[in-house]
Amino acid sequence: MPGKFIMHSQRWMTLLPLLAALCGGSAWAAEHDEGAAFTVRGFGTLGVARSSSDQAEFARDFSQPSGIKGGQWSGRIDSVLGVQANWRATPELELVGQLVSRYRYDESRVPRVEWAFAKWEPDARVALRAGRIGADFMMLADARLVGYSSLTVRPTPDFFGPLFFSHFDGADASLTWPLGGGLLRGKLFAGAISEKTPLAVELWDTSGSSTRGLVFDYLDGPWQWRASTATVKFSHGIEFARQLAIRLRDAGAAADAAADALTVAGTTTRYHSLGVVYDAGPLQVQAMLNAIRHEAGYLHNSRAGYLLAGYRLGAVTPYVGVSWWKSKPKPYSTGLTDPVLNGEYDFIMATSIADQTTYTLGARWDVLSNVALKLQWDAVRGSAASRLPVLRSQPGWNGRTDVVSATVDFIF
Amino acid sequence: MTLRNLFLFLSLMLLAPLAAAELVVVANPRSGIERLTQEEVANIYLGRYRLLASGLTAEPVDLAGDIVLKGRFYRALVGKNLAEINAYWARLVFSGRTRPPHASENVEAALQYVAARPGALAYVDRARADRRVRIVFELSE
Repeated sequence: MPGKFIMHSQRWMTLLPLLAALCGGSAWAAEHDEGAAFTVRGFGTLGVARSSSDQAEFARDFSQPSGIKGGQWSGRIDSVLGVQANWRATPELELVGQLVSRYRYDESRVPRVEWAFAKWEPDARVALRAGRIGADFMMLADARLVGYSSLTVRPTPDFFGPLFFSHFDGADASLTWPLGGGLLRGKLFAGAISEKTPLAVELWDTSGSSTRGLVFDYLDGPWQWRASTATVKFSHGIEFARQLAIRLRDAGAAADAAADALTVAGTTTRYHSLGVVYDAGPLQVQAMLNAIRHEAGYLHNSRAGYLLAGYRLGAVTPYVGVSWWKSKPKPYSTGLTDPVLNGEYDFIMATSIADQTTYTLGARWDVLSNVALKLQWDAVRGSAASRLPVLRSQPGWNGRTDVVSATVDFIF
Repeated sequence: MTLRNLFLFLSLMLLAPLAAAELVVVANPRSGIERLTQEEVANIYLGRYRLLASGLTAEPVDLAGDIVLKGRFYRALVGKNLAEINAYWARLVFSGRTRPPHASENVEAALQYVAARPGALAYVDRARADRRVRIVFELSE
């Protein structure tokens, strides 16, 4: 593992001089007088983190096949590099493509197309997009790879971790109109997910799963409110759960309900979220709640939330946060007397339990107007049963680990 | 003149140029816009809502070549420094939502841009707002 990290680091480091040359922070976001029709921009994070527990691996989200553990420093979970090109074909039509290299389901960092869409804005109130677009399932979720845009090292895994996909192929339409002194924005989206999700024993192919959703944002001065709901209908099941279901059905009709609970293909999961951001001058506060409801009995319903507050003092913004993720196990049992089948069933059902709270303390230091350094400590305090948020938990896992992270986030 | 009065006089002399350099937002005289509120200017510059009351789409201009003026503008408008403004735009640009303001290298280029486009807006020192543009908002710093 350390050797692998060093190799990765060296590869990243060779990019730094190039990035430094590209960095022109003060004018970063703006489109210039010359060449306004075509722009290329990028973002990245070079990060190392260590997690104290050697009984489970800490990962950023469900897309990562391995995490970090045992107190070893690793650049695996947070390092990312993205490049985006925008082409304004006409004042109303823009084409956007984004390539991102990050640690992914197959353990490689092979870049993939994160976004590729056409955006049509017939007037300032309406925006229509079609192609591969960001999954805006929860507030701030569609920019969660862009470390520079956020206060913390990573979006809190307790809240954003269950989002196993970052984009979908489809379309969205948004409409913005003034209301009561603020702005109300409504957005509808629909499409198909194209993702592979690494589980402990297999790669779960979720490509072709259909998704749709509705999002409302209300912006009023420093306040931004959000309510959203979205669904995913899974195209494929989980193979090891399917195999166990076959064996349960063979063992007797008493186990039919337990076997049905293992069916994931064709079931729907609903994601509901509420959020508020208060961002005024140096003060920034975020509060969010979500509820995830699965039709599949095997996947437990969960609730999560977080509170985060930061206050800028000069170029340094210290922040504190607390987040939680708690599932409600569904009371399924096989109804059989076979101890082997019962043991396997109970083990599988226990793998989707989440029960933890994370306390976060950190600071962001804006060293340049396009480069930020961050240092963060996360204290994960959960129950021993909390196995869903981590990877490869061992029998000795007690639900507790301390994660220390240091990152350089930049845009160019 | 006492020493104290002399000090006050010199201080005022030194501060006078700073006080005179009031920041204003200017629009094209053909924009159909007489005044904007601070909230409207913030919505336009932060890419939240760019429809002007006259029906035109607002085209805000940033001063990429004058980061002192740009810094003063965003501090007065929303209390944010340039790193925070960049972080804000990083979120919107890399999620493919909204276009950031057009960038001009200097005040003259910004004024020319505004003069040439009915929906364009820029921020300049009041002394630079000439007949080509109309002042639609004054920032208090």
